[in-house]
Amino acid sequence: MIQAILVFNNHGKPRLVRFYQRFPEEIQQQIVRETFHLVLKRDDNICNFLEGGSLIGGSDYKLIYRHYATLYFVFCVDSSESELGILDLIQVFVETLDKCFENVCELDLIFHMDKVHYILQEVVMGGMVLETNMNEIVAQIEAQNRLEKSEVSVLGP
Amino acid sequence: MLQLSTRPGRLYLPSLTEAPRQGRSLLSHSLPSPAASPLFHPRAPHNHTCWQKRGLQPPVAPQHPERTQKRHGGLGLPAVLASRPLHGLEHTSPYFCKSKEAEIKRINKELANIRSKFKGDKALDGYSKKKYVCKLLFIFLLGHDIDFGHMEAVNLLSSNKYTEKQIGYLFISVLVNSNSELIRLINNAIKNDLASRNPTFMCLALHCIANVGSREMGEAFAADIPRILVAGDSMDSVKQSAALCLLRLYKASPDLVPMGEWTARVVHLLNDQHMGVVTAAVSLITCLCKKNPDDFKTCISLAVSRLSRIVSSASTDLQDYTYYFVPAPWLSVKLLRLLQCYPPPEDAAVKGRLVECLETVLNKAQEPPKSKKVQHSNAKNAILFETISLIIHYDSEPNLLVRACNQLGQFLQHRETNLRYLALESMCTLASSEFSHEAVKTHIDTVINALKTERDVSVRQRAADLLYAMCDRSNAKQIVSEMLRYLETADYAIREEIVLKVAILAEKYAVDYSWYVDTILNLIRIAGDYVSEEVWYRVLQIVTNRDDVQGYAAKTVFEALQAPACHENMVKVGGYILGEFGNLIAGDPRSSPPVQFSLLHSKFHLCSVATRALLLSTYIKFINLFPETKATIQGVLRAGSQLRNADVELQQRAVEYLTLSSVASTDVLATVLEEMPPFPERESSILAKLKRKKGPGAGSALDDGRRDPSSNDINGGVEPTPSTVSTPSPSADLLGLRAAPPPAAPPASSGAGNLLVDVFSDGPAAQPSLGPTPEEAFLRFVCKNNGVLFENQLLQIGVKSEFRQNLGRMYLFYGNKTSVQFQNFSPTVVHPGDLQTHILPTKRVAAQVDGGAQVQQVLNIECLRDFLTPPLLSVRFRYGGAPQSLTLKLPVTINKFFQPTEMAAQDFFQRWKQLSLPQQEAQKIFKANHPMDAEVTKAKLLGFGSALLDNVDPNPENFVGAGIIQTKALQVGCLLRLEPNAQAQMYRLTLRTSKEPVSRHLCELLAQQF
Repeated sequence: MIQAILVFNNHGKPRLVRFYQRFPEEIQQQIVRETFHLVLKRDDNICNFLEGGSLIGGSDYKLIYRHYATLYFVFCVDSSESELGILDLIQVFVETLDKCFENVCELDLIFHMDKVHYILQEVVMGGMVLETNMNEIVAQIEAQNRLEKSEVSVLGP
Repeated sequence: MLQLSTRPGRLYLPSLTEAPRQGRSLLSHSLPSPAASPLFHPRAPHNHTCWQKRGLQPPVAPQHPERTQKRHGGLGLPAVLASRPLHGLEHTSPYFCKSKEAEIKRINKELANIRSKFKGDKALDGYSKKKYVCKLLFIFLLGHDIDFGHMEAVNLLSSNKYTEKQIGYLFISVLVNSNSELIRLINNAIKNDLASRNPTFMCLALHCIANVGSREMGEAFAADIPRILVAGDSMDSVKQSAALCLLRLYKASPDLVPMGEWTARVVHLLNDQHMGVVTAAVSLITCLCKKNPDDFKTCISLAVSRLSRIVSSASTDLQDYTYYFVPAPWLSVKLLRLLQCYPPPEDAAVKGRLVECLETVLNKAQEPPKSKKVQHSNAKNAILFETISLIIHYDSEPNLLVRACNQLGQFLQHRETNLRYLALESMCTLASSEFSHEAVKTHIDTVINALKTERDVSVRQRAADLLYAMCDRSNAKQIVSEMLRYLETADYAIREEIVLKVAILAEKYAVDYSWYVDTILNLIRIAGDYVSEEVWYRVLQIVTNRDDVQGYAAKTVFEALQAPACHENMVKVGGYILGEFGNLIAGDPRSSPPVQFSLLHSKFHLCSVATRALLLSTYIKFINLFPETKATIQGVLRAGSQLRNADVELQQRAVEYLTLSSVASTDVLATVLEEMPPFPERESSILAKLKRKKGPGAGSALDDGRRDPSSNDINGGVEPTPSTVSTPSPSADLLGLRAAPPPAAPPASSGAGNLLVDVFSDGPAAQPSLGPTPEEAFLRFVCKNNGVLFENQLLQIGVKSEFRQNLGRMYLFYGNKTSVQFQNFSPTVVHPGDLQTHILPTKRVAAQVDGGAQVQQVLNIECLRDFLTPPLLSVRFRYGGAPQSLTLKLPVTINKFFQPTEMAAQDFFQRWKQLSLPQQEAQKIFKANHPMDAEVTKAKLLGFGSALLDNVDPNPENFVGAGIIQTKALQVGCLLRLEPNAQAQMYRLTLRTSKEPVSRHLCELLAQQF
């Protein structure tokens, strides 16, 4: 099961935080900080797996992360998930973001936070993987967009 | 499949080398170099148009006029676009704020604004509500607590507009804690949506249940969801969501999910047309079948046939589910995981088909890659590793096992670090199979090389684990010597673990014990700080029990001690061994008794109290072993620095040993100081320790209160002064070793660590304290902050203190009860533990305290990390010309830094379960010392600092509490449960925290309160 999905930038600012296990708000922030420090001090080109921080369950959990340009995507998972599978999943998520935002960049995550959440929801649900087929995910999001558009055009801005 | 050709110049690889740029496309690495300003990075021109295209305003730092213009330009664009952003969000974004203060200010302003909008008379339209709720989410993301807006979000749920409903659900799943009032409303909305037969709404509702996953929701919906899942008319997307939703509820509260006739139909979802449904169903079944393997047994053949269809398909067959030329990798991995829940299939046909699949996967691994992309190899190898796991799980096909081992062997030298990591990890499990153990061993050189050359500590750690796993009698010497060599340069985080592993291997595979002794002494030499008590106790046990190695051990430690700088642990081992077996090497003039003694005594003054106490015992044993040293040793014992040592333990030992050596006859001495009897054989305490350390990386397990103070510089150079530190009876170091108490050990020193009243030979006997003893007074302060800490006929010390988070302030009031002035009055605080305190310089206490007067001292306290030993207050003054001195424990205990945490039963149990490792729990069963009054108990628990949680424990007699200990370095979450048994007048107290020593310490502190 995926315990948490954390996206933060190179300075540690959270850009997307999703916990599937409830933690108090201040602990959530600490987990983000702790994870950031764990990931930051690692060189690029070394392996993408490391043990979870002390707050999120230590060595029972693995952090699987990928660094894209300005953002780190970190998935915290338990032993029931395949490490390489999760790496693929991160890639699917990012590629889907890229399709939906056309050249996704960090600002998209800031200004379209709601949308990013919706995309994530099509991939991961309650900590379990819902869909890995990118076309299917994009189709769902496009359907949502159409719904949104129809609602907006009925009422005007 | 991705159409890569349409995206020239974009690499689907994480870009690794470029400096941070906020506005940069994540998947691109071809943009011009970044600007230096961290606040605003100009984007490449096409990206500017990107904003405008979407009607976004570029983020603006107000001091840049040109950017302000652009912002106005942005405002003129039409607002209604397909992906219309929520206006104003960028104003909330403190990313553009210069400082933390500016950010907080801005956010508070924004929060006030939203609050007023919500509270205002004007009803908000759906769009505005949506906008503000979204802003709240963003503010929450930045780490600010949101305490309103929940109601507005719940209202959005009942909107019939999809987008409003959607953001409402999002807010609920991210932010709602189990507020019972709201949960009912939310459940109502969910119920309506589930019944709506609108698949989009149903999915939203199912998502919400899965994301919140609380017990209340389980109770409300667990019965409905199986029905939705197997209903013939449910859409695929609904089925998919329902399966995962059910899985989540089952994980949260298995008792709520009823098994029934639907289970058979779930298994048949493995045959579903829609791969997404199959994926979700596999996840669900994998979890359910662990509890009820027989109910789901039919899934084996279905899973095998599904897997076989995927594995043998061409890469184009599965179209959308083909990922970088690999057909349905995720589903394959899940199916292979599901099969790992069962033994090999019994049906020969099924088994044959499965073996065929596994062979196909292994064969495909040898084929040239269809793509150079890392995603292709990732996906392929994800399946391969899962296949290997399944082969290892079955552990019945020698042929496949050896192939798996060879495959992993190839990966050990792969250029992808990830693959090397995973290969080492898988091989660890492979090493335990009898079929493949020998095959794994052939890779020893590669693994040793990995230990030496890998750049990544995670990988080195796996290599160390694998070496440990593949070790047997044939290669133990090589592996141990390699690990010792590695230890010299190993990362600090894993040193202790390596030390433990080396110690275990050395003992387990020792052919001759001289090798074992050498190894352990090497360990101490190389990584003395990381050699825990268990390790050096163990070597002493083994040497004591085996007379063939005693002479060698004595000779070796004697040589090791000659080194100009040797670790204190070496002195301990050396002291003990020479004290027992020094006679075995005394024949050699180079190690004659006087030489042995002076060698040990040359280290004496540099050692801690505990070691010096041990050495004193060695000396008295020398008197027995070598009568010729008696005069010298008695001289040492008689010296003022021993007989009048401020440490009671040392003082007592010196006095008693001196007397013993002078009054007892040689026979009596020989009996009392006889060689230690052999220790009873029991499980190696080191092995137990390694087990407790729950595997790799728990490098912090060293913190059990006896960390070498010099190795962590937390006290900012304040070394505990041995003269005032009340060490918990250092005799424990010696006593900890014995099965039967050594005859030489003095009677346990009375009350060491409670109150130390220095006995000055020229002063009057210390005044006895009035009222409660200082230890009792100290204990009372565990649950309260104010009161009298100490009182005798001269002096009263009162305490008032307050604590917030990791900070505290303590006022100490010293009252002179006599009519005579105290002179040279000097209260000082020393910190033997990890707690740092500062005494405010402005509030220095006057050196004179007039008769009847009271002076005040203020201490500012900061808790840097968790600590066990309270600071000590040492007060010295002259009363009527006679020096007075007393040392008290200051009532600062770790629980003072408790922040109570309120949580619902659901959360409590979830957290409780998370802290289920044996070392995280401390439990004590004890007799009540005070009348068992629920109100008093409640008050004490609240005073202790935790929140009291009602309606959590099913038994209303029990008390349940939760809180977080705040220290500067880290926070420790604590859960506690107190179960009184009025009939037996007993309590059971259980504490679980994320840190082992904290659990034990809190448990002890609290247990003394009832």
